[in-house]
Amino acid sequence: MTDPRGVVVWGWLAAHAAAQGRRVSLADVCAVAVSSAELTGAWLAVARGSGPDFVMCVTDPSGEQLAELQLMLGEGPCHDVLASAAPVLAADLGDAEFSRRWPAFIPAARQLGAGAVFAFPLIVGAIRAGVLGLYRGAPGPLSDRQLGDLLILADAATVMVLGGVHGDGDSDGDGDGDGDGEAGTTLNGQAPDLALHRAEIDQATGMLTVQLDVSAGEAFARLRAYAYSQQRRLADVAGDIVARRLRLDRDPGQDGGP
Amino acid sequence: MDSELLSDTFVELADTMVAEFDVIDFLHLLTDRSVALLGASAAGVVLADPRGELRVAAASSEEAGLLELFQLQNDQGPCLDCFRTGRPVTADDLTGPCQRWPRFAEAAARSGFRTVEALPMRLRDQVIGALNLFRAEPGPIDPADLRIGQALADVATIGLLHERNVRRREAVAEQLQAALNSRVVIEQAKGKLAERLSVDMDRAFNMLRDYARNTNQHLTDVARTLVEGDSADFPPPAQRPPAQRPPGRSAR
Repeated sequence: MTDPRGVVVWGWLAAHAAAQGRRVSLADVCAVAVSSAELTGAWLAVARGSGPDFVMCVTDPSGEQLAELQLMLGEGPCHDVLASAAPVLAADLGDAEFSRRWPAFIPAARQLGAGAVFAFPLIVGAIRAGVLGLYRGAPGPLSDRQLGDLLILADAATVMVLGGVHGDGDSDGDGDGDGDGEAGTTLNGQAPDLALHRAEIDQATGMLTVQLDVSAGEAFARLRAYAYSQQRRLADVAGDIVARRLRLDRDPGQDGGP
Repeated sequence: MDSELLSDTFVELADTMVAEFDVIDFLHLLTDRSVALLGASAAGVVLADPRGELRVAAASSEEAGLLELFQLQNDQGPCLDCFRTGRPVTADDLTGPCQRWPRFAEAAARSGFRTVEALPMRLRDQVIGALNLFRAEPGPIDPADLRIGQALADVATIGLLHERNVRRREAVAEQLQAALNSRVVIEQAKGKLAERLSVDMDRAFNMLRDYARNTNQHLTDVARTLVEGDSADFPPPAQRPPAQRPPGRSAR
């Protein structure tokens, strides 16, 4: 097979961030999602609980209003994706099914000029990080390729949110700028590693919740941070944890984390 | 072919589908029954993720060697060919020189498998995955078995898309992602349980499944509760060491 699609999509993110002279951030995910899938706008909301909590970044005023509208109404595709742990692909907001499902959201969304809304949960199993929302003025489905790319972009955003990357290309206490030769290939100290899915990564995440006594989201971030700090592939580190050849320490300093 | 086993299996699968059910638990049952019915050594349901990979949703065994065989088919193998062509793919003898999939054939033979079948899971013009069968005996599969295998693959498709309005083409993609994420939740829960109780992944999975069945809950819900919370209710008191009971309190 050729390069995993994740490598290709990550290349777009890195190129977009480099053109802005900054490190890859959630803003790049939104922008690349819009351009790659030929959409009108995007927003990204993070979740603390079971629903979207606050809007982290938007690409345009209508996108912002669509995001805020759902927070205000407490209904819409962004709520549903976190409840069902699956994307909501509303390719035609004129479809009566959607008016029944979101009676308040649909008329307002159409008023704002949205013909189609696509929402992707930022999730890894039981871990919920937020929602990537997208809209297009004209109704119509996504191609299979666009759908796959958006799923990969949502995965990238999930890694960023869980790893503490913010919307504007900077992050907490990370003042080392983007002058290192690796800019674009690393993600705030995290290898993107969006390659093939491996069950061991999920199993290791579950094991780390007990070893480190942390939430699954934090275990996921610690696993990635460790792999990056050791310059090892995520799947290999996960394999060692599952085989019980490796344990991580409760103090991040001890296992080489950031 | 054991016709009583066949009718029992379809009754069991149909019974499951008329009620609320957990899709991963259902697919797991289907792989178990595929093994029993078709004289296979192992079976798995592999789904096509639009991200561009084949991912296992359920397998008759959680053994790592088998899971590796599904993983390998992202590069080469019967499931990849089946997904690309939408047609059944069979190989009668994997121990001979295999031009089609040398790496896959070698790994399969190492695990003791001589033959393999991949049967497409089709919905209208889409191929959403495959039912993958492995057998230890060489030789072509009985055409009658192949037909039943395809029927089981079709049942897997129907089960996967349960209670979804598949009028919209997008609903298929939504449901597929939900199933793949359920599998991730279960893997996370297996890890948490394996670490907490010092058991292996296979045992952790069986504990989760037994607990879900005994308490009439969905496997994914049990797994999610375990991963999310402090999961005070799991493992159930009966399976906990007695030392964990608070002292000085009489059991009711």
